[in-house]
Amino acid sequence: MKRVLVWDVPTRLFHWLFATSFAIAWLTSENDQWLSVHTFFGYLMLGLIGFRLIWGVAGGHYARFTSFRYSPMAGLAYLRQVLSGSGTRYLGHNPAGSQAVYLLLALGLAVCITGLFTQGGEEQQGAAAGLMSIAAGRMVKEGHEITAILMLLLVFGHLAGVAVESWLHKENLPRSMVTGIKDAPEDAPASRPYRLTGAMMLVAVTAFGAWWFFYALHHPIEKRLGYGEGVPHVAFVGTKLPDNAQWREECGSCHLAFHPSLLPARSWQRMMAEQEKHFGTDLALDESTSKALLDFMVNNAAEKSAREAAVKINSSIKPEDAPLRITETPYWVKKHQDIAESDWRSAKVKSKVNCGACHQDAEAGTFEDAAMHIPR
Amino acid sequence: MLRKSYTSGLMFMVIAGLAAQPVFAETPDQILASIQNDAKATPGFQGFSAARGESFFKAKHGKESSCVSCHTDNPAAQGKHATTGKPVQPLAPSANAERFSDPAKVEKWFKRNCNDVLGRVCTAQEKGDVLTYLLTIKK
Ligand code: HEC
Ligand code: HEC
Ligand code: HEC
Repeated sequence: MKRVLVWDVPTRLFHWLFATSFAIAWLTSENDQWLSVHTFFGYLMLGLIGFRLIWGVAGGHYARFTSFRYSPMAGLAYLRQVLSGSGTRYLGHNPAGSQAVYLLLALGLAVCITGLFTQGGEEQQGAAAGLMSIAAGRMVKEGHEITAILMLLLVFGHLAGVAVESWLHKENLPRSMVTGIKDAPEDAPASRPYRLTGAMMLVAVTAFGAWWFFYALHHPIEKRLGYGEGVPHVAFVGTKLPDNAQWREECGSCHLAFHPSLLPARSWQRMMAEQEKHFGTDLALDESTSKALLDFMVNNAAEKSAREAAVKINSSIKPEDAPLRITETPYWVKKHQDIAESDWRSAKVKSKVNCGACHQDAEAGTFEDAAMHIPR
Repeated sequence: MLRKSYTSGLMFMVIAGLAAQPVFAETPDQILASIQNDAKATPGFQGFSAARGESFFKAKHGKESSCVSCHTDNPAAQGKHATTGKPVQPLAPSANAERFSDPAKVEKWFKRNCNDVLGRVCTAQEKGDVLTYLLTIKK
C-alpha cells in the first residue's frame, strides 16, 4: 500500500464549488428577493460544467472520462454487488458513482439552460433576454423546477452512495475529496496536482463573483434612484424602460409617475379625455401638453411592452374595460391580495398608490421581483 | 452640398442649445410684479400683505384640505401630498431655487391647488399675498 494523489486540485475545486453553487441556488430559489444571488450561482454552475467537460478530456488521470467509462448496466451491477455486502473498491469513480457524475453534469446543464431561458422569458433579463415570450418562459420554468428536483434527488443518492462506500471500505471518502489523497496498491497510477490550473480557476471564479456583486452593489436600482441604502439584497438590474422628461414632470408631481406600460392604451386615452376630473383634481393641462403626454403613454402602453408586469396586467383586463386605476386591474389585485392589512397601514406605506414604498424600482417602472421589499 | 449640411447642422445645434434653456426663466420678484399688474385692475387694490398671505395659506376654506395639507405649515420644509403621500419639495423660494421661476408652472399649480382647496380659482390678490408671504420665509 502507498499514498497516492487521486483527485487533482481542479477536480476537487470543481466538486466543492459545484456542490456549493447548487446548494445556494436551491436555497435562494424560493424568494424573489434573492434572485440575483440565485442567478449568479446558476451562471457559475454553467461555467463549472463547461470546465469539467474540458477537464474530463484534458485533466488528471482519475478526472478523465476514459478512466471511468462504465455503462449504466455496469453501474446497476455494481449497485447490486454493494447491496449484497461485497463490492470491489475502486480508486477513482466506481461504476455507480460514474453514472452519478454523468447524470449530475447532464442534469446540471439542463437546470442551467432552462434557468437561463426562464429568466430570459419570464423576466426578459439575463443572457437569454428577449429570445422567448413570457408564455414560453413559463413552460421552460416547469422544466427548470423538475430538473432541479431530479438533481436534488440525485445529490441525495450520491451522498448515500458515498456514505455506504465509506463504511464498506472503511475509508473516509469525503476527506479524500478535500485532500485528494487515497491509499492505493503499489502499481496504481498517481495524478498530477495541476496547481496552476486550480489557481487559475479560483482567480476566474473570484473575478466573476467580484464583477457581479461589485457591479450590482454599485448600481443597485434603489441607489440610482436615490432611495437610500441598507436594502438587504443585491438588486438585479434589467433593461431600462422608455422615459420622457415632460411626462415625468407632468405626471410625477402628485404621485409616482406610473409607467405607461402598467395600463393599456385605451385607459390612458380615457384618462386624458377625463382629465378635468382626475381623481378629484382638474389636471387642466393645455392641449399640446396633453397630446404630447398621451402620445408617449399610448406608444409605450401595456400592449406595446414585453415586460412581465405589462403583459400580465394587460391580459387580466377585460377587452371592454378601460380601468383608470392600476390598483383595480385583476392582476394587480391578485398579486397584492396576500399583503397583510398591517403592512398597508404602516406609516411607510399608507396608500396603495405609494408603489415606491415596496418596489424600489417603482420610479423606473420595471417592478422587478428582486427590487421588492415590504418595509417593516 | 456638404458645406450646406454642415452649416445647417451648426444652426441646428445653436437652436437646440437655445431651446434647452428654460425659455421663461424669471425671478419670483418678476412673477410677483406680474401678479401685481393683474391685481391693480381690481378697484380698491391696496398692495399685498404677508400676514394676510400667511393666514390664507394656513386656513381652511370650506373644504377639507388647506394649502398646509400638502405643503406643511413651514413652507421652507419638504411637504407631502395629502392623498398619495408623495414628497413635495419646499415651496419657499429661499429653500428651493426652482420655485416661482416659471410663470406657466406657477399658474398651473395655483389653478389646480386653489381648485382643490377653495373650489374656485384664486384671485390675483390672494396669489400676491401668498407669494409675498412665501418670500418672507427664511430658510
Ligand atoms: C394635481 C395632482 C395630480 C397630477 C398632476 C396627476 N395626478 Fe394622477 N392622481 C392624482 C390623485 C390625487 C390620484 C388618486 C390617488 C389615490 O387614490 O390615492 C391619482 C391617481 C392616478 C392613477 C391611479 C393610480 C391607481 O392605480 O390607483 C393613475 C394611473 C394616474 N393618477 C395617472 C396620472 C397621469 C398619467 C398623470 C399625468 C397626465 C397624472 N396622473 C397626473 C393626482 C394627480
Ligand atoms: C405594501 C407593499 C406594496 C405596495 C405599496 C405595492 N406593491 Fe406591488 N407587490 C408587492 C408584493 C409583496 C409583490 C409580490 C407578490 C408576489 O410575488 O406574489 C408585488 C408584486 C407586484 C407586481 C408583480 C411583479 C411581477 O413580476 O409579477 C407588480 C407589477 C406590482 N407589484 C406593481 C405595483 C404597483 C404599480 C404599485 C403601486 C400602484 C404597487 N405594486 C404597490 C408589494 C407592494
Ligand atoms: C393636494 C396637495 C396640495 C395642496 C392642498 C396644495 N398644493 Fe400646491 N402643490 C402641490 C404639488 C404636488 C405641487 C408641485 C410640486 C412640484 O413641482 O414638485 C404644488 C405646487 C405649488 C406651486 C408651484 C410653485 C412652483 O413654482 O413650483 C404653488 C404656487 C402652490 N403649490 C401653491 C399652493 C397653494 C397657495 C395652496 C393652497 C391654496 C396649495 N398649493 C395647496 C400640492 C398641493
